[in-house]
Amino acid sequence: MAQSYGFEEEEFTTKFNGRVVLRIMRQVTPYWHWIVGFIVMIALTSVGDSYFTYLGKQLIDEGIVAKNTARLTQLLMIYGGLTIFQAFTVFCFVYLAGVLGERVQYDMRKQLFNHLQALSFSYFDKTPVGWIMSRVTSDSGRIADLVTWGFLDVTWAALNIITSLTFMAFINWRLMLIVAGIVPLMLAASLYFRQRILKQYREVRKLNSMITGAYNENIAGVRVVKALVREQKNLEEFSQTSREMYHAAYRAAWLSALFLPVVQIIGAFGIGAVVWYGGLQARVAGITVGGIQAFLSYLSFIIWPIQDLARVYAEMQRSVASAERVFSLIDAKPDVVDREGAFDPGYVRGEVTFEDVTFRYEEGKDVLTDFNLHVEPGEHVAIVGPTGGGKTTIVNLLCRFYEPTSGVIRIDGRDYTTLTQHAIQSRIGVVLQTPHLFSGTIRENIRYGRLDATDEEVEQAAKIAHAHDFIVEMEKGYDEEVGEGGNLLSVGQKQLVSIARAVLANPAILILDEATSSVDTLTEARVQRGMEALMAGRTSFVIAHRLSTIKRADRILVLKAGRIVEVGTHSELIRARGHYYDLYTRQFRREREQVYGVGEFAAASAS
Amino acid sequence: MSQELDLKLSQKLTFDLKSAVHKNRLVGLWRVLTGYRWLYFGAMIAIVLGAFVRVYYYRVVQYVIDTVVDAGMNPQQLPWLGLSFVGLAVLEGLFAYLRGVWSAETAEGIALRLRNYLYDHIQRLPFAFHDYVKTGELIQRSTSDVDAIRRFYADQALGIGRIVALFVVNLTMLLRTNTKIGLLSVVVMPFIVLLSYWFFGRVSKAYDRYQDQEAKLSTVLQENLTGVRVVKAFARQAYEIDKFDRENWERYRLGKKLLIMHSLYWPISDVLCAAQTILVMAVSALMALRGEITVGTYIAVMGMLTWIIWPMRNLGRLIVQVSTGLVSYRRVADVIEQDREDIESGSVPPDTRIRGAVVFDHVSFSYEPMEVLQDEEEKKKDAGPEKKGELKPVEVLHDISFRCEPGDVVALLGSTGSGKTSIINLLLRFYDYQAGSLTLDGIELKEYPRSLLRRNIGIVEQEPFLFSRSIRDNIAYGAGREVTQEEIEQAAQAAAIHDIILTFPQGYDTIVGEKGVTLSGGQRQRVAIARALLKDPRILVLDDATSSVDTETEEQIQQALAVLIPGRTTFIIAHRIQTVMNADLIVVLDKGRVVQSGTHAELVRQPGLYRDIYEIQSRIEEEVVEEVERGITVPELTFKPAAIPAS
Repeated sequence: MAQSYGFEEEEFTTKFNGRVVLRIMRQVTPYWHWIVGFIVMIALTSVGDSYFTYLGKQLIDEGIVAKNTARLTQLLMIYGGLTIFQAFTVFCFVYLAGVLGERVQYDMRKQLFNHLQALSFSYFDKTPVGWIMSRVTSDSGRIADLVTWGFLDVTWAALNIITSLTFMAFINWRLMLIVAGIVPLMLAASLYFRQRILKQYREVRKLNSMITGAYNENIAGVRVVKALVREQKNLEEFSQTSREMYHAAYRAAWLSALFLPVVQIIGAFGIGAVVWYGGLQARVAGITVGGIQAFLSYLSFIIWPIQDLARVYAEMQRSVASAERVFSLIDAKPDVVDREGAFDPGYVRGEVTFEDVTFRYEEGKDVLTDFNLHVEPGEHVAIVGPTGGGKTTIVNLLCRFYEPTSGVIRIDGRDYTTLTQHAIQSRIGVVLQTPHLFSGTIRENIRYGRLDATDEEVEQAAKIAHAHDFIVEMEKGYDEEVGEGGNLLSVGQKQLVSIARAVLANPAILILDEATSSVDTLTEARVQRGMEALMAGRTSFVIAHRLSTIKRADRILVLKAGRIVEVGTHSELIRARGHYYDLYTRQFRREREQVYGVGEFAAASAS
Repeated sequence: MSQELDLKLSQKLTFDLKSAVHKNRLVGLWRVLTGYRWLYFGAMIAIVLGAFVRVYYYRVVQYVIDTVVDAGMNPQQLPWLGLSFVGLAVLEGLFAYLRGVWSAETAEGIALRLRNYLYDHIQRLPFAFHDYVKTGELIQRSTSDVDAIRRFYADQALGIGRIVALFVVNLTMLLRTNTKIGLLSVVVMPFIVLLSYWFFGRVSKAYDRYQDQEAKLSTVLQENLTGVRVVKAFARQAYEIDKFDRENWERYRLGKKLLIMHSLYWPISDVLCAAQTILVMAVSALMALRGEITVGTYIAVMGMLTWIIWPMRNLGRLIVQVSTGLVSYRRVADVIEQDREDIESGSVPPDTRIRGAVVFDHVSFSYEPMEVLQDEEEKKKDAGPEKKGELKPVEVLHDISFRCEPGDVVALLGSTGSGKTSIINLLLRFYDYQAGSLTLDGIELKEYPRSLLRRNIGIVEQEPFLFSRSIRDNIAYGAGREVTQEEIEQAAQAAAIHDIILTFPQGYDTIVGEKGVTLSGGQRQRVAIARALLKDPRILVLDDATSSVDTETEEQIQQALAVLIPGRTTFIIAHRIQTVMNADLIVVLDKGRVVQSGTHAELVRQPGLYRDIYEIQSRIEEEVVEEVERGITVPELTFKPAAIPAS
């Protein structure tokens, strides 16, 4: 069933996970001096912001009201100086926090990628590529945001509230108490709204991806839609989703529209109280004009740090959820690990033995049962049989992508778990049915087989693989870009490049998965000859589809439902008139039809 | 709230967007507003009123300060003054709230209108369009571009309106308070606006580069993950780590560059803003000191000044963003402008019963390539002479003639590109023929409404497209009516897929595709057969390709087809001599022409392509026997193909 079921994601967590937060902190400890740096800078900025308001008060009281021009000039100078100083602190904290954020992302992506390289094949079998990708890309970004801008905003907001209250106390402590009573109310309201808004947006995003999915399917399947005259019905169905989206988005906007006014109105009660009480105080000379002005400024400004706190708190829940997922990837343990004392034998002859090997991906479903096989160095074994018969499993086991559930696999007589993975994998060459190339040039892709190969060696390998001819026909020859995943080359060309890559690697044991899809005759012949050249003198396992390859093999295994049902040479098996006979004649017909050019419309048996 | 909104929405959704498209993008955006203009206008008014409330707040502050300083105020007044602040906040909040909800209703309403329209529009665009446009391109225009338009209405247009309103209202008030101060308050302003405009223009380019690098990094990651077998098989982990690190480091470097730009811009624009503040502060403080203005006025001036400077800082950013909104409008309008396929009109009444007599009489057809949906950049790139050559019509069917009676089985035989699929496309009116006559039950096909034709023709394709919904829904997908579970199960049984469906834990509720089970090619084909059975069409089109399935499945599919075919005019896109042999009419196609037609018995008697194929088939059978003999007697002989006979 659907493997992706386990990977539905919860976008944010409601419970506060202290352990995860601690672990996030540990991630950034190497950069503690950067963090200290931007925290100091933002603290200075925050105190400066509060002081500006106080400066405004002094300007009124000591300059204007006192009619002291000298003091006024002095205060203006201080104001100007402070501006310059703040410009410096702002530069510092934006730079420090921003660059640190990029750095943390860089580190985390690197760590994740490196860990991925160590993980076993089974992990990639079970985990969708998209899931892993969003861990490495978006989640790492969210964590970096938390430890930089998140910390920064919290520091600024908290300090701003505290220093503002301090300055207020300095001006008039009774009025300050009124304000101090109102701040928690504003904070509570902000938190409440932020939480609701975040939840609503999650709903919007969910619906948005449903809408994208609906578009995708309707466009991809437009032929069926038209042929079945489904247009009206589809529109009705789509309208329901898009309306839900409308309502969810509207609700989110409604909450946002309500949010600031509500908090501001709470603040306005504070302003009203200050005016009323402050006005009374002024009559008994307890507060100055500048003092009242300062209070009004502080009160109308305090909404920003408060709503910042609420925002960071809400975002933190998302970041913690992101971190949990990232850590789950980092904590994933590889299934196949080198044993204690595993070694590299230095030279491999290529003798391979399967002894009573049984393998299953999940309990109760054996894909390979009591498999026994002994292959001499240099022997060519063809493996044939229907899909799901266990052919790919043999490849996976031999490469030690997986290890047998029971039984032993030996290479040159040694249990291969006593060797390092690197020792095995660097001596096994694999040519896959759908060859995977990497973005870059042809040369780079061939050199993938041996990284220190010279250009001459690369070309030599290409010649052996019969790939050279097509490569030099290309505009830029070996420097031609292959495109993402090799998409600019044809399947046959990709196969040739991957054969050349394997030639360069010069493995002792070879695994070839022949392509079923037919390519043009010329390339086909080249692939064929390339493969032959590659196989010469190496122990080879060929998952074969072409009759010529099959017939040439020293031994043919017919695999069905995880067991060997027939084994022998071509003539032995033809004589047996069993599974192989059926498979062979069927394939023979197909190949002949292609030869005569009637394969297109006469593929099946007329018997 | 919800029901009332729904009702209002329905009225607005019927709006025809196509007639609203305009070359001038701003005019186009204005027309799209139809039905929402008053609401949007209301939001604008709320913004202006909000700006006035802001100004009056400072007026009240001014009054409070001045009366307190003069101390000539009655203490009874104080509570009222205090309350008036609350009142002003409530008013300001109300206007902010109204702006928020009205603009949201407008922007979300228009987004909904666009989404629904595009969804319907795209599925009704002709094949000629879909042939030339990539799915991803259409999806992007329907999602991210629509979202950019939504943001244009929700944030950018109103944001600019808000800045203008605050600027005008506050400046007017300042000028009325004191002309000199008013004029001084905008001295540095042009520099702030220019700086932000310049900066945000630059930064958006740097940001694009950063995003490109991000995409590159994703590619490396994705290739590594999808190619994990190769990486492991060559033990190239260290190499991959290096490769990833290079791109990752480049991204870090670009990100750093972007941040340095930001870390310079913000302090510089801070200093500019502060310069403006200090200038006004110094002048008006001196005036207040000399008694030319009151202290209250001074405080009000400083307050209003904040609301002139602060919004201006954002103007540059908004202008840059608006331009992306305009680009998105153009991209969406490009799709909307395309002509739909008319599926309802035609002189034949929609409830006509179709018998299924089809006559092709000298029918010719060419694909006429169209130039659709190209980006400006692509247009420039493609403007070579060789591209123009490609745009010539390509004739794919030439002078096709054959006829069949209701209930006949017609086999279309030919290689890829011979025109088999094009004949089917004409029959369903996916395309219209240019010459000759094609009639159904004696009436020219062009007289039939497309929906009538398509409702009466069922298709079972080689690789049928199933939708990612339950198997039940997939089978019922084309029935065009409510169907019961029993009917669905009957169809599934007849299509030999019922038993397989029952092996899934969720049975008929099993979701097909990425989020559920992956069906094999043969299973998909049988679901499609069940789908066609429920639709109960008069004419059936079968793409009879069974080469990809094993013998057992092949037999099951044949049995399923045996239930489906009788009583319907059936067109078989044939790949097998066996099916062809029993057909009432075999049409042999080559390069868009009919080279032979007749029954099997007739065709094997005359020389031609059909007999060639037939003979080759027989020859191959002889060769199979020979090959087996050879395998037994001379095991080491390498097989050499016989010379290819000239056909």
